[in-house]
Amino acid sequence: MSTLELVGLTKHFSGAKQSAETVAVNDINLSVGDGEFLCILGPSGCGKSTTLRMIGGFEEPTSGDVLIDGASVVDMPPNRRPTAMVFQKYTLWPHMRVYDNIAFGLRLRHQDKAQIDKEVRDSLALVGLTGYDRRYPAQLSGGEQQRVALARALVLQPKMLLLDEPFSNLDALLRVRLREELYAIQRRIKITAIFVTHDQEEALSLADRIAVMNAGQLEQLDKPSQIYAYPRTLFVADFIGVMNIFPVQRQGDLLHIGQYALKAPEGLNGESGLSVAVRPEDFTFSATDGAWQGVIDQTIDLGHYRKVLVIVPGLFGDETAALAHRVKVYMPKSVQARAGDRIALTPSRYLVYSDTAVTRTSSATRTSSATPNAQPIEVRNQAVSGEDDR
Amino acid sequence: MPMAITSTTIPMRRAKKRDWSWLAGYALIALPVLIMVALIFYPAVLALIDTLFVPDATTGVTALSLSNYQAFFKDRILVANLLFTFQVTLTAVALLFVIGYPLALYLRFSKSRLASVVQVLTLFPLFVPGVILAFALIQFLGSHGMLDSLLHAFGFTGFRTPYLQPQGVIIALVWESIPFTVLVLTAGLRQVEDAVVESARDVGANSWQIFMRILLPLSLRSAVIVFCLNVIGIFGAFTIPYLLGPAQPMMMGVSMQQTFNNYQDRVGALTQAVITFLFCAVVGLLYVRTVTRGRKERA
Repeated sequence: MSTLELVGLTKHFSGAKQSAETVAVNDINLSVGDGEFLCILGPSGCGKSTTLRMIGGFEEPTSGDVLIDGASVVDMPPNRRPTAMVFQKYTLWPHMRVYDNIAFGLRLRHQDKAQIDKEVRDSLALVGLTGYDRRYPAQLSGGEQQRVALARALVLQPKMLLLDEPFSNLDALLRVRLREELYAIQRRIKITAIFVTHDQEEALSLADRIAVMNAGQLEQLDKPSQIYAYPRTLFVADFIGVMNIFPVQRQGDLLHIGQYALKAPEGLNGESGLSVAVRPEDFTFSATDGAWQGVIDQTIDLGHYRKVLVIVPGLFGDETAALAHRVKVYMPKSVQARAGDRIALTPSRYLVYSDTAVTRTSSATRTSSATPNAQPIEVRNQAVSGEDDR
Repeated sequence: MPMAITSTTIPMRRAKKRDWSWLAGYALIALPVLIMVALIFYPAVLALIDTLFVPDATTGVTALSLSNYQAFFKDRILVANLLFTFQVTLTAVALLFVIGYPLALYLRFSKSRLASVVQVLTLFPLFVPGVILAFALIQFLGSHGMLDSLLHAFGFTGFRTPYLQPQGVIIALVWESIPFTVLVLTAGLRQVEDAVVESARDVGANSWQIFMRILLPLSLRSAVIVFCLNVIGIFGAFTIPYLLGPAQPMMMGVSMQQTFNNYQDRVGALTQAVITFLFCAVVGLLYVRTVTRGRKERA
């Protein structure tokens, strides 16, 4: 059993001046179950690596606690924590052979030679590098080096595996392959893993749950499918997958976008600061009443479907703004579409956000329980059918 | 199969221009090489010839002979000088490592504001000429000097000044060489990435194990460079041993000066110079090997 709990984890970095303190991580609370694969996802500088380094003991939290199996580890140095970390790069010791890199930790624990030998060979086999033990790191490719780093971490049988963007220096194909290997290994040995990445595809394909971070805050913690279908904040909506986001004006039970209008969902409070988010696959193309009239500007063939960029002047009032904010639409290839074609779009499903659920700058201004619409409200357009499989 | 592939394998014919760029490299090093040959190698060869070809006492005919070197190694005082020089050099260099590594480690890893103060203090000796240093140390460490008076004020008696003792020379030589030692060691340690150190800590190494197993092997090249250049510098030192050292035994630099000036023995001084030069050349060779191997590994 190895569970992780972060309680109010906060990290401030002091700047050059005494007054200039940056909040790298702000009040993170989450718990990770035994054998779970958690991805911490966010843009660079969002505090995800700092969070991981506080779990591993490489940064000291300003406040808050890190509990592993219910016991606080926050006062322990990294060498005494039951965690093992795989770093982004330069992780192997260049003057030691692969064998010695992996055996180093075991030797520090004074294990006997035969035992060390067996465990080093087992872990090399686990990462698919049997026979590489005599090589030096410089004789390995980037992918092989990271696999040795993984073997070196796993050989110590840690309670928790921490990975800090371990594949970000590898080329795309290798990244995907190593990601799949890591997934298989993690499932096989059932170790609790925390994986930091800025690559949403990596997070979506690896994680049991994803923690999306932005500006030091935890924006959303959910299963990948939930994060995609119900992004809790505008930031997550924009960051995960592709999303069309339109600011709207509310009048009664209608939300106005330029000359068009969408139904306001029931229970929506507030008049201003509202936005509507529509996924590119959530459009239908029949010329019904109130459909958005546009012209296809560009089509991009993406294999099994087609991405279409549509200029809808009516949404913005003028041509230039419409050109700058082309509507992104995914179309099945069975539907004919060429640049210059006229097209009618109707959102079949959209999410409505009020800006209180979005612009959270610090915990002081965050009053989500008191404000209306802390969560986005989903609307499935009843006028259009056949899209309700979600 | 594909025509395109075969067609691209046909070599393109290009007007071949004579490439003179290799000359630029030689042109750049020509002046320093000329100066080195004129001021170091030529006199060194002359010295070697002067010490190896000895005129016969009766006939006056010069012939190849090791008699100058035999005379050197038969002279107990000169051999004592040579051994003393070895002793001072090795002690000073060992002390430099003992003092230099902790300072370099501190400067490499400390994030506190104090580190920049320490850095300035470490580099300070770089701006103090050897003569000034020697006189400052005489003022401070000499008998009835500042330290002696201070100790007296607190009731300590029996302070024995290191002035005119081997310790005095060693203190001054170490003080003088600290900036260079720390600069090179810090540069070597800076090449070790943080993640390399952190991953060692992560698998369970404590600070001492990290130093011995990771940092020391990975900064070994800097350590060898520090060793070589310090040995060469200290072995041939003159000003500080001359001003602070004991009258007997003396370091090679002082010994040469005395043989040349006081005894007017030009060939005797040359013999000592050649012996000093040969020892330094061996260490220099180690330095050159270390540096060129580093170049190759990086290439």
